[in-house]
Amino acid sequence: MDIKPILSSLRRSPTGAILVALQIALALAIVVNSLFIIVQRMEKISRDPGIDVANIFFVGFQASSDRFQGEVTMREDLGLLRSLPGVQAATVVNAVPLSGGGSATSVYTEPNEKGRRGDMNYFQVDEQGLETFGARLVEGRNFDATIVTMPPKNSSTSPSGILITRDVARDLFPGGSALGKTVYTGTNEPVTILGVIDHMHGSWPGWDKVGNVALFPVITDETYARYMVRARPGQRDAMMKLAEEALGKVDNGRVILRVRSLEYVAASTYAEDRAMALYLTVVIALLLGISALGIFGLAAFNVSTRTKQIGTRRAVGARRTDILQYFLAENWLITTVGVVLGCVLALVLGYWLSTTFELPRLKLYYLVFGVAGLWLVSLAAAFRPARRASMVSPAIATRTV
Amino acid sequence: MFSYDLRLALDSMKRHPGLSALMVLAIALGIAVCTVTFTIYHAMATNPIPDKSSQLYAVTLDTWSAERPYDDEKPDLPPQLLTYRDAMYLYGARAASRSVVMYKSGALLLPERNGVKPFNAQLRVTTHEFFPMFDVPFQYGQGWDAAADEGPQPVVVLNHETNVKVFGGENSVGRTLKLGKVEYRVVGVLQPWAPSPKFFDLNNGSFDDPEDAYIPYGWGKALEMPVYGNTNCWKPEVGDSYQDFLNSECIWLQLWAELPTVADRDKYQAFIDNYARSQKAAGRMPRPLNNRLYDVGQWLDRNDVVQKDNRVLIGIALLFLGVCLVNVVGLLLAKFLNAAPLTGLRRALGASRRDIIRQHMTEVLLIGLAGGVLGILLAVGGLAGIRAIYGSDFTRGSYERLTEIDPFVVLVTLALSLLAGTIAGLYPSWRIGRTAPAVYLKTQ
Repeated sequence: MDIKPILSSLRRSPTGAILVALQIALALAIVVNSLFIIVQRMEKISRDPGIDVANIFFVGFQASSDRFQGEVTMREDLGLLRSLPGVQAATVVNAVPLSGGGSATSVYTEPNEKGRRGDMNYFQVDEQGLETFGARLVEGRNFDATIVTMPPKNSSTSPSGILITRDVARDLFPGGSALGKTVYTGTNEPVTILGVIDHMHGSWPGWDKVGNVALFPVITDETYARYMVRARPGQRDAMMKLAEEALGKVDNGRVILRVRSLEYVAASTYAEDRAMALYLTVVIALLLGISALGIFGLAAFNVSTRTKQIGTRRAVGARRTDILQYFLAENWLITTVGVVLGCVLALVLGYWLSTTFELPRLKLYYLVFGVAGLWLVSLAAAFRPARRASMVSPAIATRTV
Repeated sequence: MFSYDLRLALDSMKRHPGLSALMVLAIALGIAVCTVTFTIYHAMATNPIPDKSSQLYAVTLDTWSAERPYDDEKPDLPPQLLTYRDAMYLYGARAASRSVVMYKSGALLLPERNGVKPFNAQLRVTTHEFFPMFDVPFQYGQGWDAAADEGPQPVVVLNHETNVKVFGGENSVGRTLKLGKVEYRVVGVLQPWAPSPKFFDLNNGSFDDPEDAYIPYGWGKALEMPVYGNTNCWKPEVGDSYQDFLNSECIWLQLWAELPTVADRDKYQAFIDNYARSQKAAGRMPRPLNNRLYDVGQWLDRNDVVQKDNRVLIGIALLFLGVCLVNVVGLLLAKFLNAAPLTGLRRALGASRRDIIRQHMTEVLLIGLAGGVLGILLAVGGLAGIRAIYGSDFTRGSYERLTEIDPFVVLVTLALSLLAGTIAGLYPSWRIGRTAPAVYLKTQ
């Protein structure tokens, strides 16, 4: 089909077309970059944490009198928790995974902070820690109760053996097995690697080494501490109630402060990412909606004001499809210019976002989605007005004014 | 004359109701998205203590390791916290008109009143000038004096909410309560006070509520109270006792100084630099001399209080407004140019170019105002939605405070819309005004 008449008509009054193209270009830049951010956030949220998030809950407690006797009292409570029918495992723990709060340390393959360094987010747990997390060992064995210690307060004494995740093992011993190897703490204490965990997330979902986790066979001595309990599938909520009741009945010098599920903690941690994804989704939807309406409105308006000319064209021999094609081709042309300009804008915006906010660089294939999406939206928006144009009767031409 | 312009504008809008509605909607959406985004941003970036923000300084020293900077991402900045030794020396020298050294801790609060459950109270362990320095408002009683810090005396200041929870909100000055193992006497109760961001301690949640109660600084050492904020160490330490911890290079304390004039500030900077030099001479502080004073605004920046996400959203919201405005301009242009024959007729009948411009402007104004009103309504709805989703479910005080609309933002976005509309209105007015009226009459 001949696009010359379209071009010459556009050349005569380019302002409207330029504005539509500009609108499409801006919309494309926003849609592509927003989509990219949304996908990143959703990927972050939907990563496998490697722990039994759905069934774990925490019981916060605090010593309130001298009757609280550290490990003895805690063992008593743990015994009670483990005896509950719907409880699979329970431990004392120093921090809550996925919560944003926790402890980290580094070990080295050689003394005096030499050799390779392994950063790890550590959890102090007892012999049931591994099972309570629901993590899986791929090498070695879990530690037993005999090596679980309760060092005095403020002590920097390290445990003799620990479990690490594969991510830590890879940092320390790339290419080889970490099992049974000795590593050294900052204070040069030797630590044996007793086992390697397949995969689990630690305290900081935003950390690029979130999978660098270690379990230490240590019972934490803090005045404010918590039990971590893993319920059998589907029994978490019942067990949360039961655990609070059962522990509340025993008066051994501590008070139960808060019972909270890991699911709640994780949801709260990821709330910002979710909010960002939701917000941008709404923005994209509004943007596509308002762009489509704008294109539709303008096209419909143009058709209605050009009725006479269309009638004239029809009267001198143009078929309905010619008229339809004319308007669709005009729209296609404008959209294409807008989309090309939009690709450039999208890359500029993506570059600005990545340099200013240290976000990952925009992946080019997102442009394809954006371009296809806007083309479709634009075509769909212009279709009805174009069809209405094609319905104009040739007789219109004979009616004056 | 205005009523005539108004009638013409309404007539013109009625001729194409769909198009007019579309323009109003586009402006409304642009304004709504910008207002919601800026409201969130403003709530995070507002100055929490406007009267004194340039007189209060967070004091930092670079006491970190020779091998690596404190923060690899910002290698030229010293850490935000101080060691016990340095904090105690700088505080003790009284080189500022006021200063405060403090940290966050906690203890089990056992109320004397029956029926109130014990809870883990968040405590600020602080020297006495905290209250006058940060303009903390008291409801009952007052703070304590220097002697109470030294003693330390068993006195406590409760915040408003704690006083309601523990004493039912009555004047509790003189009453007692147990925190951990010590019985404290209430000397003051605060009015509701929650600076946002919580500038004086940005360690754990910049928008957290302030602590439940305040106790004299001396109790920290006397009771070896745990640090609820961050403790960071770089040097392998000898010894496990609390005294060893106090002597260590571990950082965990916050120090603020009130320095009313620039001269005071410079003098204090020289003072901390001299101190650091003396410590270097004694073999400590291996990094280059790098001690910084941050006023409140600089402190919020240094701690990245306004999250990246929010800045990204500002950019996207402005682009969104751009799309809406381009949309409106396109529609307006098409409409005005289409009405050119009619306008030409008015010209031919004697209307001046000014009259034409005024006629177009009236319509632009009308559409802009309608869009503005609808936009504000949409923004109120949107913010209510955000509060419904995020305010209730999680104990984030921040979202509660995020939902008051900033009139400034509404005005700016509305002004932008009207400006765009003005351009869209002026161009056709100018084009039509330029053409001889006869041309339009001929085409009729």
